[in-house]
Amino acid sequence: MKFGHVFKETLRNEGFPSDWVNSAISYSQLKKCINRLASELAQVGLDPATLGTLLKQVEDYNASTQKDDDDRDRPFEYILSGDDSPSLPKEQRKPFHPKLLFYVDEKTGEVHSAKLAEDTRSKLQMLAVATGVSQLRVFEEPDNHSMGSEESTETRSPPNELNTVNGIRKRPGFRTVEIPLTSDTEFFATLTNQLSGLEALQEKEEKRMHAQIEELGKQVAHLTDPERRNNKKLVPVWRQIFQIYVESSIFFGTTERDHEAHDADKAGERFLEFSDKIAKEGLVDKFKKAENVNALNAFMHINREILQGLRFGEINHVAMLKILKKFDKQTALGVKSTVPTYIVFPEFSSHLAKAVCASVSSQIITHVPLLDDYSCPMCMELKWRPVRLRCGHVFCIRCLIVMQTNKQHRCPLCRELTVVDANAGNLDLELAEFLKRWFPDEVKAKQKYNELMAGVDQYGEVYKEKCSVM
Amino acid sequence: MSLSKRIIKETQRLAEDAVPGISAVPHDDNLRYFDVTIDGPSQSPYEGGVFKAELFLPDDYPMTPPKIRFLTRIYHPNIDRLGRICLDVLKSNWSPALQIRTILLSIQALLGAPNPDDPLANDVAQAWKQDEQAAIQTAREWTEKHAKP
Ligand SMILES: [Zn+2]
Ligand SMILES: [Zn+2]
Repeated sequence: MKFGHVFKETLRNEGFPSDWVNSAISYSQLKKCINRLASELAQVGLDPATLGTLLKQVEDYNASTQKDDDDRDRPFEYILSGDDSPSLPKEQRKPFHPKLLFYVDEKTGEVHSAKLAEDTRSKLQMLAVATGVSQLRVFEEPDNHSMGSEESTETRSPPNELNTVNGIRKRPGFRTVEIPLTSDTEFFATLTNQLSGLEALQEKEEKRMHAQIEELGKQVAHLTDPERRNNKKLVPVWRQIFQIYVESSIFFGTTERDHEAHDADKAGERFLEFSDKIAKEGLVDKFKKAENVNALNAFMHINREILQGLRFGEINHVAMLKILKKFDKQTALGVKSTVPTYIVFPEFSSHLAKAVCASVSSQIITHVPLLDDYSCPMCMELKWRPVRLRCGHVFCIRCLIVMQTNKQHRCPLCRELTVVDANAGNLDLELAEFLKRWFPDEVKAKQKYNELMAGVDQYGEVYKEKCSVM
Repeated sequence: MSLSKRIIKETQRLAEDAVPGISAVPHDDNLRYFDVTIDGPSQSPYEGGVFKAELFLPDDYPMTPPKIRFLTRIYHPNIDRLGRICLDVLKSNWSPALQIRTILLSIQALLGAPNPDDPLANDVAQAWKQDEQAAIQTAREWTEKHAKP
């Protein structure tokens, strides 16, 4: 199937909002531009085969002698634009102003080929004559800095120095001839226009989603507020959902083998795994009230939107690369490698997804502290009761006791001598309050364990056996 | 003695977030005993070899370090004939915050950077210091002979 068709189908069937579809790269419009450009070139005898042959002659020569020091051997150049640096803010960037330039010897009218072997040169000359290059109605490059094409008629450039004007290299003894083309300007104007449209859309969507996330964040904060008695049973449910969410690493890998941003396919797969797991744990059923179910739905919805944004960005990116490839196939002008240095494709994946994911975690997930962030680095259980050493590292009191009994005087994390002199004064009461509020069940369990182990310390292992019978 | 939360968590992470070139799988009947394999680091004489080791977590782990020993024969100045390893983090520099994965990474690094000035296998260290090229060649041959699956 042709890409144009696939692209159209995808845009129609993926359920993108209509304003997204309207902002998508218009592949068919650009294709028409290319067709027009191809016929413009054909009119002056520069069908892709001819241009390709010209280009190849030079490349072959360069390759055979390893003299590919620069492109001065090229009989022609296709310059996209002198000063449209992608580092400039987009308001300051000029639109594309592509030029197809031939270098022709001032006296003989030969196509420029200074370093070429005699027979290659004559072949080129033959080709140029055969395809009518020397009979072209040509414009000379203006020497002033104006880029206006109307002025670029009969002025002559000084032939005796090698300098650059508007990014175009002047060569001594050669006239620069521009082949008059209009469809390529149109092509690039259309393309850049659509890219900035995509960028604007992305900015708009990002703002909208941030607002949505903020709203949901407030809701989750309310639903999980440990001060509300009704929430008591719900906090662990939300915690489990978010724990599974974090572990699913849907949009970004977090393991040794996978630590990159995921593409839409992979992220979609991970998202499915996440929803399956939640379903399997029966977590939704534990939400008795509609407000919790609604909040969870909103959370799932936001994630689906991020996924869609990823998918939309990807297919547009592919569409752009495909259309540039088509451009080259029909004109042999080699833009596929040069265009990406002039434009920045607005990546939904790296902007939208990253920004939105960051705010999902900072605005929503953060409302429910996860156990992993409050576990003791030694026993990996909840750090109850929390002891803050002088070095700032926090362990549970049980591990502190174990360390002190074993004469482990140094902090396991920073190796400072801070374990040896820790005492009751090191208890972190504020953190203790926090843990009691957010992890009441875990605190209870750990408290029981700590007491049991204290008994063992005092009376030996037999204490444990007695206790477990009771 | 029941398995601590810590050992359960470490084991889980070893399986789910495996380190490339390293595996550690606990025995079904003794969850403190692990079968370990370490791939020889590239650009080292152990490249291409897969080295088996056994790892045991003592009762007072993590107060004391895991006990680990190579089962595959290896020609290395810091590993002796019985497979015992001379590595500071397994002895004086152990810290209860270190984990199985960090230890195995250190051992893999040791394979990439033998240290004949702190030897365990004295004869190997001697050979290493006298003629490094020859020692490396021997290490390569041993890898070929003992560590190829
Ligand atoms: Zn602890
Ligand atoms: Zn410390």
